[in-house]
Amino acid sequence: MDRKYITRRETMALLGSAAAVGMASGPAFGQAEPPKPASIVVNHSGGSMGTAMRKAFFATYEKKYGIRVVETSPADFGKLRAMVDAKNVEWDITEIGGQDAIRATKLDLIEKIDEKIVDRSKYPEKARSPSVFASSVYTTIIGYRTDVFKGGTHPKSWADWWDVKKFPGARSMRNHPTDNLEFALIADGVPKDKVYPIDFDRAFKKLDQIKPHVTVWWSTGQQPAQLLLDKEVVLATGWNGRFYDIIKKGAPVEIEWNEGALKQGSFVIPKGAKNPYWANKMLHEMSVPQQQAIYASELGYPGLNLESLNFVDAKVKPYLPTLYVEKQFWIDDAWYAENGAKAQELWNAWMLKKA
Amino acid sequence: MSSTSKGFLPAIPALVLLGVFFLYPVIRMLGFSIETGNLDWYAKALGEGLYLQVFWNTFQIAVFVTFFCLLLGYPLGFLIATTTPFWATMGFIFVLLPLWTSVLVRTYAWMVLLGRNGVFNRMLIDAGIVADPLPLLHNLTGVLIGMVHVLLPYMVLPVYGAVKRLDPSIVAAAQGLGASSWRIFWRIYLPLTLNGIFAGSVIVFVLSLGFYITPALLGGGRVMMIAVLIEQQVRETLNWQFAAALSAVLLGFTLAVYALAQRAMRPEAAR
Repeated sequence: MDRKYITRRETMALLGSAAAVGMASGPAFGQAEPPKPASIVVNHSGGSMGTAMRKAFFATYEKKYGIRVVETSPADFGKLRAMVDAKNVEWDITEIGGQDAIRATKLDLIEKIDEKIVDRSKYPEKARSPSVFASSVYTTIIGYRTDVFKGGTHPKSWADWWDVKKFPGARSMRNHPTDNLEFALIADGVPKDKVYPIDFDRAFKKLDQIKPHVTVWWSTGQQPAQLLLDKEVVLATGWNGRFYDIIKKGAPVEIEWNEGALKQGSFVIPKGAKNPYWANKMLHEMSVPQQQAIYASELGYPGLNLESLNFVDAKVKPYLPTLYVEKQFWIDDAWYAENGAKAQELWNAWMLKKA
Repeated sequence: MSSTSKGFLPAIPALVLLGVFFLYPVIRMLGFSIETGNLDWYAKALGEGLYLQVFWNTFQIAVFVTFFCLLLGYPLGFLIATTTPFWATMGFIFVLLPLWTSVLVRTYAWMVLLGRNGVFNRMLIDAGIVADPLPLLHNLTGVLIGMVHVLLPYMVLPVYGAVKRLDPSIVAAAQGLGASSWRIFWRIYLPLTLNGIFAGSVIVFVLSLGFYITPALLGGGRVMMIAVLIEQQVRETLNWQFAAALSAVLLGFTLAVYALAQRAMRPEAAR
């Protein structure tokens, strides 16, 4: 794995000891500014994420610079490639999946980040990739109905998740190889720091066991939260922020963080973006700890500026995945950049197989 | 034939538009699929069990959806065409309104209605009709309900048009000669509205082949259609060559079905 790319394990280990890092010189400003455009375009996943980004970053950006922030969605790797290929790049910044960021770097689809503008001095050293801006951390974990699993009787590991006798009830998992292959291996006894390279045979054999008990294979992030709310299932894997959202609103749902699959949210500037300077200014806005704290409180996805946790309300902190890094593991984007297509094909074939 | 050549000139702008924005991209896409200089991607699309199975699933679902759309859409279109103007307007509103609503919203609405604790199952259980909730969602049933709902207008409108075009004096003559309603339907309405049935069925069938959101959400992940796989190749795997090959197979398949249907519909032309 190329060390220049996004790095995770070390990053998070460092996040744990936030105080250790933290002294670095401020960035050098003061170059001549290019003319301001009327607007810049930020492309992201949409939904509540857009609302939170507006509140945390876009509103202050607009006020500061008088440049309107136009939002589009969803994050679409195919579209990014098509735009760059056609030399007609609509986006100034776009969100991008972890493994896609690695492939985009290799395909030369993204611009380098201007270190003079974007201050990442308070970032863990390993989270300062030259062209990929690490925006936040999220994790796929277990969400469960508290009215079904009372007083800590819920599954607390993937082995538990697979134990349908001890923990009966309909389950939902993502319709995707990522996360599930790892969960299956961990449930089968593989230590969570030894899941890569993934043993496909072993993983799918273990998945065979759980297949009849998964009533819904979800395909959009909102589904698992909704399925738990409607009691369509009593256990669901899902992204922590989606569960955090319904818990905030009083749903009888809680999160089990153990053995969750951590990932990093990323933003990049597409090659040939029309306003690279102002795009960098936006990335800088997204690196400010106070703003990241607002974002984390809204969605449950903390930023990577180590100081941002200082600005988060004590009530919110237990819902941020950065607190549970030790119990979890990092999805290996580099492995998926190499093996993602194969994994997807095997997954499709497995889904088609009659249980 | 003379009417065709006379009508050709005004059609030029539309043809140019189609050529630039439809034909050219399709040819470009086909080009992707043979970029490697061989037919390897086609061999993969047609040779591997996974993709053949999904093509077959897609075809089956499209047939089912067309069948149910016809079953529901024909009487509805017929009714709207023959009822009083007031009810015809009401009918149109009910048929057309969903067309203006996003498919995603409608799909989520079905999730609320059809779930284990959804409105339908609650009603059935409260009424004592069933003891356990019926599995209406996250399976083929859910997908079919959702797709038929989305595609029904495309069946109703052509049927409505065909019935409206029918010369009422034929029906009056048949009635005058003492034909029963059943006979009138069987001998007059049905043969003379076959065009509408054909048009509606082809539109519904072809649109079904490309369905994506509805099966993904209402099928619980178990119902796999080819559009989902193509989308994966385009957006996730970035294997546009293979995506193009899969699309080309789907396109070829669709055209073949269309040609076959044409032939079946116009036996005199086939001779």
